[in-house]
Amino acid sequence: MRKPLAALVTAVLCLGGAAACADNGSTPSTSSSGGAAAGGDLVIVRPQDSVSMDNTMVFSNSSIWVFQQMFESLYEVTPDGKDVKPLLAESHTLSADKLTWTFKLKQGVKFSNGAPMTSADVKFSLDKARATKGGWEFLDVAIKSVEAPDDATVVIKTKYPWSPLLADLANFNNAVLPKDYAGKSHDDFYKAPIGTGPFVWDHWNKGTEIELKKNPTYWDAGKPALDSVTWKVVPDDNSRNVQIQGGQAQINENPPFSTLEQLKGQPNVKVDLFPSTKTDYVMMNQNEKPYDDVHVRRAISYAIDREALVKTLLFGNGTPANSFLMPNVPFYDAATPGLTYDMAKAKEEMAKSSVPNGFSTTFLASSGDSTDQALAQVLQSSLKELGIDMKIQNVDPSAAHDLQQEQKYQISHSYWTMDIADPDELVTFAVDPSAGSHSFYTSYDNPQVIADTKKAQQTFDTAGRQELYSAIQKQAADDAFMGFLYYSPFSYAYSTKVSGFQVYPTGNYHLEDVTLGS
Amino acid sequence: MRHLAYVGRRLVSTIPVLLGISVIVFFMIHLVPGDPARTLLGVRATDEAVAALHAKFGLDRPIWEQYLSFLGRLLHGDLGRSILYDTDVSSLLALRLPATLWLLVAATVMALLISIPLAVLAATHRDKLADQVVRAVPLVGLGMPTFWVGIMLVLLLALKVHAFPVSGFGKTPAQHLSSIILPGLTIALALTPILIRSLRTSMIGVLDSDYVVTARAKGLSHRRVITAHTLRNAAVSSITVLGVNIAYLVGSTLVVERVFALPGMGTMMLDAIFNRDFPVVQGVTLVFALMVVAVNLLTDLAHAALDPRIELA
Amino acid sequence: MTAPAVPVGPVEPLQPLQPSRLPWLRGRGGEGVLRLNPTLVIGLSLLVVIVLAGVLAPVLSPWDPVAQDLTASLQPPGNGHLLGTDQLGRDVFTRLLYAARVDLRVGALAVLFPFIIGTTLGLLAGWFGGWFDLVLMRVVDMVVAFPSFVLIIALVFALGQGTASIYIAITLVGWVAYARIVRGEVLVAKEQEYALAARASGLPTWRILLRHLLPNVLLQAFVFAMSDVVLSILAIVTLGYLGLGVPPPTPDWGSMISEGQNFVFTKWYLTAVPGLAVVVTGLALALVADGVVQRSGRR
Repeated sequence: MRKPLAALVTAVLCLGGAAACADNGSTPSTSSSGGAAAGGDLVIVRPQDSVSMDNTMVFSNSSIWVFQQMFESLYEVTPDGKDVKPLLAESHTLSADKLTWTFKLKQGVKFSNGAPMTSADVKFSLDKARATKGGWEFLDVAIKSVEAPDDATVVIKTKYPWSPLLADLANFNNAVLPKDYAGKSHDDFYKAPIGTGPFVWDHWNKGTEIELKKNPTYWDAGKPALDSVTWKVVPDDNSRNVQIQGGQAQINENPPFSTLEQLKGQPNVKVDLFPSTKTDYVMMNQNEKPYDDVHVRRAISYAIDREALVKTLLFGNGTPANSFLMPNVPFYDAATPGLTYDMAKAKEEMAKSSVPNGFSTTFLASSGDSTDQALAQVLQSSLKELGIDMKIQNVDPSAAHDLQQEQKYQISHSYWTMDIADPDELVTFAVDPSAGSHSFYTSYDNPQVIADTKKAQQTFDTAGRQELYSAIQKQAADDAFMGFLYYSPFSYAYSTKVSGFQVYPTGNYHLEDVTLGS
Repeated sequence: MRHLAYVGRRLVSTIPVLLGISVIVFFMIHLVPGDPARTLLGVRATDEAVAALHAKFGLDRPIWEQYLSFLGRLLHGDLGRSILYDTDVSSLLALRLPATLWLLVAATVMALLISIPLAVLAATHRDKLADQVVRAVPLVGLGMPTFWVGIMLVLLLALKVHAFPVSGFGKTPAQHLSSIILPGLTIALALTPILIRSLRTSMIGVLDSDYVVTARAKGLSHRRVITAHTLRNAAVSSITVLGVNIAYLVGSTLVVERVFALPGMGTMMLDAIFNRDFPVVQGVTLVFALMVVAVNLLTDLAHAALDPRIELA
Repeated sequence: MTAPAVPVGPVEPLQPLQPSRLPWLRGRGGEGVLRLNPTLVIGLSLLVVIVLAGVLAPVLSPWDPVAQDLTASLQPPGNGHLLGTDQLGRDVFTRLLYAARVDLRVGALAVLFPFIIGTTLGLLAGWFGGWFDLVLMRVVDMVVAFPSFVLIIALVFALGQGTASIYIAITLVGWVAYARIVRGEVLVAKEQEYALAARASGLPTWRILLRHLLPNVLLQAFVFAMSDVVLSILAIVTLGYLGLGVPPPTPDWGSMISEGQNFVFTKWYLTAVPGLAVVVTGLALALVADGVVQRSGRR
């Protein structure tokens, strides 16, 4: 039984002594200032809040980057984003038939509730992760069984040889949770989660802030340095920047590129651009005529002045894209002949197409998204030269999502960031129409590319995989199934008091390495 | 007793209004294209995940059925669960209400602090330069977009002068107070032109009235005349202006809270609209509507208390 | 107490009033037409300047408001660009002028429909009373109890972006103000001698309403419409700020403010100048409204 009235009354009472209420029952934070590596409370401001702490189901980055401070997996992505290294695992062996993987676990790891981490916890977690519906279970489809022969050993059998397994195990959905959710129900567990990570749960005022506290018994002795981390929701771009300047926050997540110049001029503020796996695309829906015509798609792809987009949209902070894969993902091929800006060729392709005299179409854009707005207007003006009359339909982001995923659009914009250190996640999503995403919602369907994708999943030698992924990238570029736009870095602005802050190409960061000076 | 019966009648008459509002909000927000499940799950949402979420929140049922269950819960004082945050709407409201109330109170107080002295100045120097200036300058405020004023105030006062915290709400009441000054001022600036004009008109009316003229003739001091009679009337007309504008005040929190990053109900409402978090939109609208209805009622009661000539009917 | 409900701006409670007529509809012997007061003169002159700026935009500026030059984005003022260029290399001053066309037109049209609908409904409700009046007033109560701007935003979301949606949304919210004002005026006017006389003379109802009553109750609605144009421009600008205003690439002050906002600390004028344009337009219309009131001898 809920007591809404009581809650409202409390809220009104809070007007008087709001300090107690705002903390929502948390212990008062000890602001132990001092030199570097000695505590401190870090505040990160970002445009939106987390959605849920359920690591097996949630797709939002703003949730993932928070619970990754509490949950750890057997493996983790290396700082360059191209490989994985052991984290809670010590080592592994692979059988000759490439179907049985045996893992030795790191010893002396404890959950934040004091219980030691054992193979039973790993089995529980992996079994839960691959049993979800509509979550991240697609990464684990190749797994046939998980066994725990002794406390320190885990054996995973796959249905068929599966080369991305270690990369998949490094993903957060396969993080190690205490067995049986430490005696709680699934829902209760995720309301105050327990993991092996450097930070532990404190509180979450939905829509406003999440606070995690230092895990005093973290297995990696001496870490973390911080006493607490708070993620605050500040939707307005300028307000976030201003809070860094005003010292109310220390890290600003993704300040727009347009504001970097101004931020760089501020004393005590540092701006960093971390190499990312973010790639932007123009999506063209092949269910809608004339986008089923490869010449039309190529013409549009040729008509995009990527250099100009990088200059005006990213303020020079990026590079034009030549492939739908990004430079910071393994098996990216820099030699992929992606289409570049060439109006003459664009006109040639248009002439060869089913609509040589042009056509009219509608670009689906998200209102309030400055990239979408500028991109749409630039594209509108370029396509005019091809006789294409492009209207811009602005809908709010929620409706835009919906229309894209239901493929009720003609031409639109989207982007991708990788979660694992293997191209398979994106390749399957983008070119395999049967994977549930209708080839990135474009209905692109090339049997050769699909066959290569499946083959690459079962190929273990690096050279063999490279060959397959190069072929896929080349064919996809030639089919111009999307207009690849540009690769852009993750921008972060932070106080000069912060040191040791690094964002990986997959977008996550390790706050146990961060220190706060005075 | 007379007042109590009146309050009762008024409360009863608001029920159909609130019910009507709930119908409008409910059907309007559900007719807006966009699916909370897809928004929540993001680009990689599978159809299964969307369907599961729909089932969890009953979004797969016919819309009239959803409305009836919404209404049924409402009768039990339950506003439902936020789809986005998977939390009771009422507890979300409880977290957000303080910032909004602080903002509304601050805006009102600041509007009065600016308007009353200026109106007194204008009324006592009628048709002189001071009067002309006081009447003309606030008209500028009428056409100012609130969000723009907010941005300009941050630019000028917070960043250049470092006079106020630029945004956020702080943790202690003292911090709340200093955080609320700029956003409060933003809203107050929009209200002052109207407040000043109404106050000036009513004060002139009083100053010209027979009893004040008599009082002056009897030798009562200027100051006492103003305080005794004029301010009482000024109170009546300020209450009227504020009462009429409560819907505006409440609506302005949407934009102002966003510009100043205040964790209030306005920002929650915008987020909820953007994410199609239906239960939150419905909940906030109802609270907003209740505020408006309550303030209107209080306005009428205050009138009756301040001015015995007013009959409550 | 009769009080108008209004889209996005604060409003003034109506003063109790004597019935009076719009001078130019039913002039008091013509003398009113020439008797201008300073407020009205200043307001009208400002308004004329703004309208001319919009109308003469092609003459005043050599640039095309939507032509992009990506090699010249965010140029500082100077070099032929009075206010510099925006992110897509378009001349900001030119866009400012063309935006005046868009915002004034949309602002005025957005008031026209609520004016007509609200006045008609208010006239009928006030004259006939009964259940029609009762139902109408309950609907009015509902719309009034809503923070109207929330309603407008939600309606534009529901209807999709575009000027048509803006008209519909503002009309659905805005008519209540006119209905309330006119109804209140009619209630007073219908007890006046001329109305009673007209009724007694057996004239058809529509004739009484149109010929005798309407001219007498329109003034207050008209004055309100003047300030309502300011409010509807504010609504459009705010929608533009939220990305739901007039569709791009058409320039409008709101979207210009929103586009400039990312550069507010380095290129403040990109945000400040379009905002000032809105403020001056609002001032002009407020002065005109004030002047009309003064001229009709209301205060």
